[in-house]
Amino acid sequence: MIILGIETSCDETAAAILDIDKKGNYKILSNIISSQIDIHRKYGGIVPEVAARKHVEMMLPVVKESLEKAMVSSKEIDLIAVTRGPGLITSLLVGIETAKSLSFAWKKPLLGINHLAGHLYSSELKTGGSKLEAIKFPALCLIVSGGHTELVLMKSYSNYKVIGKTLDDAAGEAFDKTAKLLGLPYPGGPEISRLAGKFKVSDSRLPIELPRPMLNSPDFNFSFSGLKTAVLYLVKKLQPKYGLEKIRPQVAFEVEQAIVDVLVAKTIRAAKKYKIKTITIGGGVSANKKLRELLSYKVGKEIKGAKVLLPEVGLSTDNGLVIALAGYYGRIKNLESRIKNDGWKKIEVDPNLEL
Amino acid sequence: MKIITENQKETIELGEKIARQLRGGEILALEGDLGAGKTTLIKGIARGLRIKKAITSPTFVLMKVYNADIADRNGLRGSRIKKFIHIDAYRLKDEKGLVEIGIGDYLGERDSVVVIEWAERVKKLFRGKKILKIKLELGKKEDERKIILKK
Repeated sequence: MIILGIETSCDETAAAILDIDKKGNYKILSNIISSQIDIHRKYGGIVPEVAARKHVEMMLPVVKESLEKAMVSSKEIDLIAVTRGPGLITSLLVGIETAKSLSFAWKKPLLGINHLAGHLYSSELKTGGSKLEAIKFPALCLIVSGGHTELVLMKSYSNYKVIGKTLDDAAGEAFDKTAKLLGLPYPGGPEISRLAGKFKVSDSRLPIELPRPMLNSPDFNFSFSGLKTAVLYLVKKLQPKYGLEKIRPQVAFEVEQAIVDVLVAKTIRAAKKYKIKTITIGGGVSANKKLRELLSYKVGKEIKGAKVLLPEVGLSTDNGLVIALAGYYGRIKNLESRIKNDGWKKIEVDPNLEL
Repeated sequence: MKIITENQKETIELGEKIARQLRGGEILALEGDLGAGKTTLIKGIARGLRIKKAITSPTFVLMKVYNADIADRNGLRGSRIKKFIHIDAYRLKDEKGLVEIGIGDYLGERDSVVVIEWAERVKKLFRGKKILKIKLELGKKEDERKIILKK
């Protein structure tokens, strides 16, 4: 079946066309993403008005481009899948209203998708791939982005539950805010990573010890606001003496290490407890090199019989392709009733939608 | 009114005390830098309003609406509060973004309490409205915070 996936929950205006059969053989026909990071760099952060207006400007061109690049006509589309939440309501609505109109005009079924579900399956797809790299269950997915940090236990494609989440700041937010404290530009995560990547541990000169909040708590929840405060105090203490430029590389290194340590430690512990066969990650922060490396290393070392499935970096940030794939799983799991209940008449936006 | 809290626990307790004074329709405008304790205070306010769900940072989603309509309302006599709206304007340049996401539905409504972090960025929203301004600053000692409340 040919699925059009539309995603507009936050910055990105994205549409993609996925050709996929019941056995999981697929072909990515197009994956169009209109990145708005440049616009937001200009404004120093996400400005919803601008974001919504940008989505409005970009949505139809992005959909058109996705069809043209795929060389597919609207008649050949079998299903439209659109993110209905969570996210910024003004952004979500652009995608939903567009999808509703297309569903009505083209007479194609419409499925509303949870943005987070897209991240659950993102590691099964590869650009240029042809067969889904299937997740073996039970599986664990760590979803880490600016707005979310959740550990999800998956018993099957449609049977999953959140076993841990952040109690305050999301990991991506922790990166962004500590970057701000260090005077780095938006987006902070990649900046911290970049600096951290260049730093050599042998260059450590400053007495820096950052906490690993909740590392040893018996649950699978996370907390990063304490880390933010620790960085605040650290910068206050060291900046007057050494200057921001000098302390940045080492602090960035320590911050990244602290965040990654906690994420990996909890994931490993959960994997051991639930006898997990596949560990996967999703969301913008899953593009972080250190996280990917440490997780792979620890799983290889400590958990026999489990594989790590990492999403392609380009697919870990928001895109329409993973939404199309989520639509696929929604469809083949015979959730026809969902399609009847969704559809352009009934689909509802939910900015606070949870897994 | 100026209050010094020695640690996070006391900030949360202050939040609970503030919650007990709320009757519905209040707008709490919080100002303070990163790490000043805004969300911590709000966690306390939510606890005081008996909200069960964990309060997490709405930095990326901008606005979160919590159900505050609870049967057992000991100590909250005369309270009509049904909704608790937690807004974070950290990523906004001005109030337009909040207007677009429907803040008008809640501001000043009798059954809602609205708390806004980084409120100084969306000052225009408060024109002609009664607000409780709460300013949070770092104190002299590391975990200390200075919290100033002004009607």
